[in-house]
Amino acid sequence: MFLRHSGPGLLAALIVSGVVLAPPGLGQTQPDGSLLLKQYCVVCHDNAKRTAGVTFQGLDLSNIGDNAELLERVLRKVKTGQMPPAGMPRPDAARRAAFGNWLETSLDAQAAAHPNPGRPAAVHRLNRAEYSNAIRDVFGLDINPGSQLPVDDSGYGFDNIGDVLSMSSALLDRYMSVGRKIARLAVGDPTLKPGEEIFEPRREPNRGVAPAVPARAEWMSDDLPFDSAGGLSVRYYFPLDAEYVIRIRLGVANAPVKLAPHEFRLPLKAGPHTIGLTFPKESLKLELAAPAVARRSAFVSSVRPEASSAGMDLRVDGVRVKRFPPDADGASPPVLNMGIVGPYNPAGRGDTPSRQKIFVCHPANRSEETKCAQKILAGLSRRAYRRPVTDADVRPLLAFYQKAREKGDFDYGIEKAIQAILVAPDFLFRVEADPPASARHNPNHRISDVELASRLSFFLWSSVPDDTLLDLAEQSKLSDPQILKQQVERMLDDPRSSAFVDNFAGQWLQIRNLATVRPDPVVFADFDESLRWSMQRETELFFESILRENRSVLDLLTADYTFLNERLANHYGIPGIYGSQFRRVVLKDPDRGGLLGQASLLTVTSPPNRTSVVQRGKWILDNLLGAPPPPPPPDVPPLDATTKGAQKLTLREALELHRANPGCAVCHKTMDPLGFALENYNGIGEWRTKDGSSEIDASGKLPDGTQFEGPAGLKKVLATERRDEFVSTVTEKLLTYGLGRGVEYYDMPALRAIMHQAEGSQYRLKDLIMGVIVSTPFQMRRSADL
Amino acid sequence: MMITQKHLHRRTFLRGLGTTLALPFLDAMVPAFAAPRLGAAKPAVRLGFLYVPNGIISAGWMPKGEGAGFEFNSTMKALEPFRENMLVLSGLAQIQGRSYGDGAGDHARAGASWLTGVHPKKTEGADLRAGISADQVAARAFGKETQFASLELGVEAPSLAGGCDSGYSCAYTNTISWRNPTSPNPIEVNPRVLFERLFGDGDSTDAKSRLAQMQEQSSILDFVKGGVDRLETKLGSGDRRKLTEYLDAIRDIERRIHKAEEQSASMHMPVMDRPASAPEEFAAHAQLMMDLMVIAYQSDLTRVITMMLAREGSNRSYREIGVADGHHNCTHHQNDPEKIAKTAKINTHHVEQLAYLVNKMKNTADGDGTLLDHSMLLYGSSLSDGNKHTHVDLPVALVGGGGGALRGGRHIRYPENTPLNNLLVSMLDKSGVPTEKLGDSTGEIEHLSDI
Repeated sequence: MFLRHSGPGLLAALIVSGVVLAPPGLGQTQPDGSLLLKQYCVVCHDNAKRTAGVTFQGLDLSNIGDNAELLERVLRKVKTGQMPPAGMPRPDAARRAAFGNWLETSLDAQAAAHPNPGRPAAVHRLNRAEYSNAIRDVFGLDINPGSQLPVDDSGYGFDNIGDVLSMSSALLDRYMSVGRKIARLAVGDPTLKPGEEIFEPRREPNRGVAPAVPARAEWMSDDLPFDSAGGLSVRYYFPLDAEYVIRIRLGVANAPVKLAPHEFRLPLKAGPHTIGLTFPKESLKLELAAPAVARRSAFVSSVRPEASSAGMDLRVDGVRVKRFPPDADGASPPVLNMGIVGPYNPAGRGDTPSRQKIFVCHPANRSEETKCAQKILAGLSRRAYRRPVTDADVRPLLAFYQKAREKGDFDYGIEKAIQAILVAPDFLFRVEADPPASARHNPNHRISDVELASRLSFFLWSSVPDDTLLDLAEQSKLSDPQILKQQVERMLDDPRSSAFVDNFAGQWLQIRNLATVRPDPVVFADFDESLRWSMQRETELFFESILRENRSVLDLLTADYTFLNERLANHYGIPGIYGSQFRRVVLKDPDRGGLLGQASLLTVTSPPNRTSVVQRGKWILDNLLGAPPPPPPPDVPPLDATTKGAQKLTLREALELHRANPGCAVCHKTMDPLGFALENYNGIGEWRTKDGSSEIDASGKLPDGTQFEGPAGLKKVLATERRDEFVSTVTEKLLTYGLGRGVEYYDMPALRAIMHQAEGSQYRLKDLIMGVIVSTPFQMRRSADL
Repeated sequence: MMITQKHLHRRTFLRGLGTTLALPFLDAMVPAFAAPRLGAAKPAVRLGFLYVPNGIISAGWMPKGEGAGFEFNSTMKALEPFRENMLVLSGLAQIQGRSYGDGAGDHARAGASWLTGVHPKKTEGADLRAGISADQVAARAFGKETQFASLELGVEAPSLAGGCDSGYSCAYTNTISWRNPTSPNPIEVNPRVLFERLFGDGDSTDAKSRLAQMQEQSSILDFVKGGVDRLETKLGSGDRRKLTEYLDAIRDIERRIHKAEEQSASMHMPVMDRPASAPEEFAAHAQLMMDLMVIAYQSDLTRVITMMLAREGSNRSYREIGVADGHHNCTHHQNDPEKIAKTAKINTHHVEQLAYLVNKMKNTADGDGTLLDHSMLLYGSSLSDGNKHTHVDLPVALVGGGGGALRGGRHIRYPENTPLNNLLVSMLDKSGVPTEKLGDSTGEIEHLSDI
């Protein structure tokens, strides 16, 4: 983000020097802009000092176009009141506002006259999430194959940035290997030899370290029955109609297993099934079959493998197929792992969703085969390549088919052609080409309808366009504003848009990192996998509700509701919530509502064993206010007083001492108060009134004098006095994610236009999304310089 | 490749020309029968570059005394049994990691400069730039001999969300290996995936089915090339970079397939079970990756490996050794003795993993000696003091015999600010890849083989 570079040193003597006076610009009468810069800004930003690399000497305010990059920075600093800094002479509010308004109008007018829509990467590789979703949508195969690819690098806070997503032989290796597996599963390969796939329950992080932690006997997964405790649930794609053996090994890791594994052989239809292992609670006689819930991951949950004296149940798609009795001594040891072995005695390829999707025709005899293959491959490659296909596209695929058909049957031929599609550059890369030089009358062009279809689908679904979008694009109807709006609404209502929650919100709010946090079991004995999962689920459901109900993004901060299950409600100290299912709960406590009261966020912004006022404050500045503080200088002087002297200082006192150092104060005087307001939440988001023995003081005061108290007070300030910064930050994140590139100064007029458009509706999320979609940078593209 | 009985030592060749210009690597200079199991010729030198992030507490690392009489300090205790197989090198610096006006971001710069000696460009994405790294210089040369020119491995997956370091793309902290100045090599952290890369993912790991699979891949690669060619015609020259990367990747795999076919008769795949997923615990994960490293070296699948025990700037906690705080948090200890002790504990734990690898290599026969005899493993960090982000007096250990080129058992102190890249150039030279200059190198480093 280009506005990040704010300079630390701001003290200087007053020097008045030449700022070229501007004539009234672009139909707007310029207020005393040049004079104002001269009076208040040149003191630090002159040619000699160039504080923060900025000088206003010689700046020609009548030439907005050439100075837009600098002036956008000026605008942001002036509008947010960051410049001139507190403590320096400042123009009065009216003059500042007049200058800001003039500058904004001028920059917007300049952009309207000479738009620069920017240039997302011409060749943009699909990331892991997009790859997985594309496989799901093109081939009907929901197995999250992206998890077998290396983690993508990210930039600007997101992993869908075209310029950052690179290609290497290691990655191509994986594409070939994963593509081969996908093709085999999608078509079904009867020559598949039996193998064993082993699933291990995820270890409870607190186990073994803090033995005093009581095991919670609770229902662990949507895929397991309500009356069970612990267990293991795996969603697995069975490649063929065949027999399979479920092999359950008992014991504890690193301890010798003396027992023979439990084995059960059963016939299963090809396709996805949920295999569950549960330990029934003896007290409950009622059997409730939990329906298998379709999930994106092959490995849905990994839960506590508790021992039980009632034996162990093996369930397939929620139905009990076998009960293994306990040992003679009445106990059964915990599950070490579960293997799925097979296929044995394959009976056929089966009738899977992917086969239904692929085989749109069935040749009755050999003479019909080529035509049918052609039809199948044309359809698949159109969806995979996300554009109309030509004979030149289908011919090489047909060659793969034909070569394989000589060795195997029709289906095998199709399998091999699919394998080729999956490494085709047309599939792996989104391509946006410049118009030919001869056709370029303007440096900018409107992207084609087909390109628009992909921009939309990767933005809202992290996946390929569906047939509806492609059809409309091929008929050049998608860019029609009316149709575009209908389609965006349809897309947001489609379940595929949950990818937007996972990928956009998951990265913006950094909730993805919840998967890897490791709270210290000694300090937070209560933290376990179930809580981790519940935290994440709360924020997902909450963000999704803002989207689905088209609420204001300000509700992200101030909502009076959330989604809880019993585990999380207990964590928050909210009574009366029973059971493992999440439900919407209206909150009476004004502190808990909104993102800043959610355990997910409070946990990912904390070190493993405590809270960090600084880390939370910085998170708010980075992600909610778009004003990231510069990182601390290395070799920060130690807080001597915390260790010296007779009595230990409180955290607040220590940080106050830290702020006595002007070099530290610049940033900490903004960060710390924000973080302190959240001190009532411990490192995993529980409410507390004391930190150790000291009372929590959750009051804060920002450098501009704004005061607040506790989470509720902070939220109010963010949603009112800092509303514009917050909305602007959300919009910038949306634009970055939607375009797959960093937001540049020339995007700021478009960003402001999006905000203005949504202002009337109190910044509803869908309105902001729609604003991004109809914006210049999303609809247009700049060509490379000739 | 033509195998000739006679090969030119490259050094000789250069001297003969009376010039020090770097020359393209010629087939004639490749040691004939370089692969260890092909004959009685001298086994090839294997290179390893093992990285630890956030610096190392000097008080625990720095040996007492210099020369042959040095004493290990606490952090390196686990290496005591291999004292004669290793050198501790002090005084080296990687000053390209300094800010030079770029402000904060020492971790990103440290990671990106460690093996390149180039000051990386500060950017979030669009225009990444560092320099080719030493491992990749070697990979270009050795790649002619082995199926994998190099492997880039790690134990910690890249961060899933959020920035990495102050306006620098995460690529700078996620890897230490740069194929060229604009292409960082991603690291592989999943032992299962690594296993499949090395040995194929067919139903059987035998050489025949692996070969059949590779032939199938060949025809797919031909098809992909056709697709890339068609795409290229649609794009302007500036937009073809990604496609060039793709073509490079294709060529690399084609070369490997060719190599595998060539070597299929002589290749014996060591026996190892296909690992499940990555173990959660750090040491178990690191050691599994190291087991695979040893196999890859041993079977001459590759001679060049980089291994990041954690990514630069890592804030991983090591609860299993009693450090629940994040590593990065600990290193900014502000002289708090408790945090210093925790950092040192992590440093020690990392070195213990190195010792595991070294021990394994010492117990693996290779030609006329052990794998360790024929290896050069560089271990260290691109920061010394993680609290102050200093880029000088780096912790550096050089382990292995280097095929006779290294004489261990010493602690050598070099003049202050000696470029780390001088050591990298020397390592390349001693492994048969003479390199005139790499990054900010000013020459070679002395005393590595002193008697």
